[in-house]
Amino acid sequence: MRKFFHALVLFTLAALLAACSGNGTGNEEAIEENEGTEEETEGTESTWAPERPLEIVATAGPGSGWDTTARMAAKVLEEEDLIDVGIGVVNKPGGGGAVGWAYVYGKNDPHTIFVTSPPMLLVPLNGQSEYNYEDFTPIANLIADYGAIVVRADAPWDDLNDLFEDMKADPTSITVIGASAPGSMDHIQFVRVAKEAGVDIKQIKYVSDQEGGALTQLLNGNVEVYSTGVAETIEQVRAGNIKVLAVTAEERLKGEVLEEFPTVKEQGIDATFINWRGFFGPPNLDFAALSYYEEMFRRLSESEGWAEVRAQFGWDELFIGSEEYVEFLKQENEAMKTILDELGLGNE
Amino acid sequence: MFKSANKKIAVFLAILAFSYIIASIRLPAYPYVPVDSDAVPISLGFILLILSILLFFVKDNHQRDKKLPKKEIAVILIALGFVLVYIMLFEIVGFVIATALFILTTSRFLGYRNWLSNVIVSISVPLVIYLLFTQFLKIQLPQGLLPF
Amino acid sequence: MFEGIFTGFQVAFSLEGLVFVFIGALTGTLIGMIPGLGPITAIAVMIPITYGMDPAFAMLLMAGVYYGAAYGGAASSILLNAPGESMSVPTTFDGYPMAKQGKAGKALAIAAIASFVGGTISVVLLTLFAPFLARLALSFGPAEYFALMLMGLMMISSFSEGSTVKALISATLGFMIATIGIDLQTGTRRFTFGNANLLEGIDFLVIALGLFAMAEVSSLIFERRQSGNYTSKLGSLRLNGEEVKEMTGPTLRQSLVGFVIGVLPGAGGTIASFLSYITEKRISKRPHEFGKGSIAGLAAPEAANNGASTGSFVPLLSLGIPGSGTTAVMLGALIVLGVQPGPLLMNEHPEIFWGVIASMYIGNVILLILNLPLIPYLSRILKIPRPMLISLIIVFCVIGVYGIGFNTFDLYLLVFFGIIGYFMAYFRFPAAPMLLAFILGDLMEQSLRQALTISNGSLWIFVEKPIAFSLLLISFLTFIVPLIRNWRRKQLTKKLERNG
Repeated sequence: MRKFFHALVLFTLAALLAACSGNGTGNEEAIEENEGTEEETEGTESTWAPERPLEIVATAGPGSGWDTTARMAAKVLEEEDLIDVGIGVVNKPGGGGAVGWAYVYGKNDPHTIFVTSPPMLLVPLNGQSEYNYEDFTPIANLIADYGAIVVRADAPWDDLNDLFEDMKADPTSITVIGASAPGSMDHIQFVRVAKEAGVDIKQIKYVSDQEGGALTQLLNGNVEVYSTGVAETIEQVRAGNIKVLAVTAEERLKGEVLEEFPTVKEQGIDATFINWRGFFGPPNLDFAALSYYEEMFRRLSESEGWAEVRAQFGWDELFIGSEEYVEFLKQENEAMKTILDELGLGNE
Repeated sequence: MFKSANKKIAVFLAILAFSYIIASIRLPAYPYVPVDSDAVPISLGFILLILSILLFFVKDNHQRDKKLPKKEIAVILIALGFVLVYIMLFEIVGFVIATALFILTTSRFLGYRNWLSNVIVSISVPLVIYLLFTQFLKIQLPQGLLPF
Repeated sequence: MFEGIFTGFQVAFSLEGLVFVFIGALTGTLIGMIPGLGPITAIAVMIPITYGMDPAFAMLLMAGVYYGAAYGGAASSILLNAPGESMSVPTTFDGYPMAKQGKAGKALAIAAIASFVGGTISVVLLTLFAPFLARLALSFGPAEYFALMLMGLMMISSFSEGSTVKALISATLGFMIATIGIDLQTGTRRFTFGNANLLEGIDFLVIALGLFAMAEVSSLIFERRQSGNYTSKLGSLRLNGEEVKEMTGPTLRQSLVGFVIGVLPGAGGTIASFLSYITEKRISKRPHEFGKGSIAGLAAPEAANNGASTGSFVPLLSLGIPGSGTTAVMLGALIVLGVQPGPLLMNEHPEIFWGVIASMYIGNVILLILNLPLIPYLSRILKIPRPMLISLIIVFCVIGVYGIGFNTFDLYLLVFFGIIGYFMAYFRFPAAPMLLAFILGDLMEQSLRQALTISNGSLWIFVEKPIAFSLLLISFLTFIVPLIRNWRRKQLTKKLERNG
């Protein structure tokens, strides 16, 4: 038995090691208590502040995009003293987000918020989630990312119209690849652009492979077009392996290589696709709590620490406050629903 | 009706294969690919069907002498019950309490007599693991009734 | 280039460098020992910790964690039959039987040495050939992957214990389980019964821990009163000449195989360790020993999965393509550190490129030095009284599985597969083919359908590609040759009977 304790000691040592590297965040909690216990008075003027540590749900596993956003946001919020309670990031992966959304919905606690992005619209539209964006309270959008349509450097097409001309002429000769199933982001961003350009979207050949696999299949010539996020393309462009025919942003992006990428719009095709990322709260979050969070994220978005994080990860700033966010989501949802219905994928 | 275990298993597998084929056929069609999502499952269903027919005629080779006394089966089933209760309580009362209770009761039930070390282990193991996960790895485990 | 290697080693061999590799290796080993926490989680949790650190050192720490987790995974496989991550599942096949025979110390030593050799050989290959290997990484398309997976599946019958039919049934069921979830090519939900938890399919580790660890718990319960039983013996760590000889061939061969498979994006460590196990069994002169504590059967997958772990750095470092879940997280970590891996990394940041490679040499040595003395301590886990050990194994499996999906649904699945595993063992259905078909089947189906979509439904795509065609030919032969051999043997015995 004693020997077993040796193992325990080892574990404890490891834990101690960690304590040195992560700075304690627990002490602030006590201070908050007096403010939080004030019972709200009637009316909209009441203020709200968290009484317990916040729980930010990442509806995917550690290391995923949602998880990274949640963890970095938590880190900066704590470091810049934008919040008086601790923050824990909870992973609820599964169902492309559906499991996590059901969890937040069921918990319905103003201390539980989650990070999300376009799958919040697409997954429910595909009929894969019981809850959709209307079941939650959009708090604020923080960042944006854009899609890119990519071909090999030696491909015969130099702009989108060239590509779409050939697709219209012989749809069987061109295969598009993305990292996720039909009806999800990579597929829909391409279809949205192609549809606007007048391509018959039912003829598009689309296959999906995991992240690394998709790029591999483009580089070795098994497929012709790769639909992905802008960030993944930069290094390959610099090395002269691929060319970016278009990015789905409204205007040209800023940055060394990025500014050379033409937008879809400037090629005469009126389509954009924003990979937005923001925070949602539980269903019918009351106004006071919503205002608290919105303000908190506004200050996060304006903070220097967050600007650094954005630069590090190559995220674009895109702050949208709650009211405007709801409007934006409604429009996006409508646009995606039209496409999915046309493809026969929409089965809400 | 079927005396040998293999024959019983074969019938069970055949039924499974059959329902799997039906479920595969009923999958919604996706018109834009040459091979749809039901093709591979349907073939798998038929392969299992053929294999179950073959199994029907294979002689049993499992160990008959492994037959367990009824008492031992009861022990296993009760232990299984403990595990299920543990899982049920896992997110409700939280990781630390559920795990402590589980180790304490299961070890005792299986014949661990030393109460003192049992209590020490049941409390320290979940606590250390919990702190390791939440503080060091920053991975949340269900906190349940505990205040931290 | 030599200058680059020199700077790389300078970074890695500095005092700070060594300390970071050491801390990383130790932490990684500990994380890796916890079932369910493999290299992916280990790296993911290190990301916030390394944030703001000097990139070169942060990278050393990360690399240490990565190899550490790969080494650590073997311990729970061997001692508890509870694989810590998917690629150490084949380690249980012979490692656990060895531990049961009182040779736990030896098994852990073999695993550590095979890992070391696998890791080191592949780092040398990586150092020498990284730029050329990039071309190898790009040589596989859907048709080639399909052929490779099919070849693996054709070898499944080598797992049969007496009855081939039972092995094939196991495999078919495994393949069927793999079809659960959203189909990647069409987005169709298959066999999910409206349960959101099944949309992304069932995790490999849930099945593996259920079929192996949980099912094994039941037999531990039967034997719980045998105090002073064989398993608690650690046995000698020393390998004798014959044992060294037995492990040499498989270790060297499978390090190479593992490395090559690791280089291919999407294949990875799990497939490498499974394929190495079955090929070794095929060519072994004593295949009947496999699954009963064969040294070759333990060394092969350990060498292969470490070879593959290193191999998967080829597409990452030379092309910027993450070939596996782990390297995808690693890519994320690098980006956070301000390093953008891509085709230009080697020229623009030679200190990082070669620093990582240099750290692999050091990491492997440190892990060997770290792990060999740890063996006696680790093996003492087996001295924990049975009733307590049983409940701790269950707790470890529960934590491991919870750490994947963070929901209790997976825990019920774990119990479900535990029960299945119990009955499979009772009725002599081998569990390994189920797992193998589960991994290979999924990839095989997806690549088959990708290939056919690309070719507009024409099967010609499998013939016109030379690699795909030769792999298909080999898989056809591996299937047909034993059948012919069997048939001829039967003819021969018939003849003998007639004459005799």
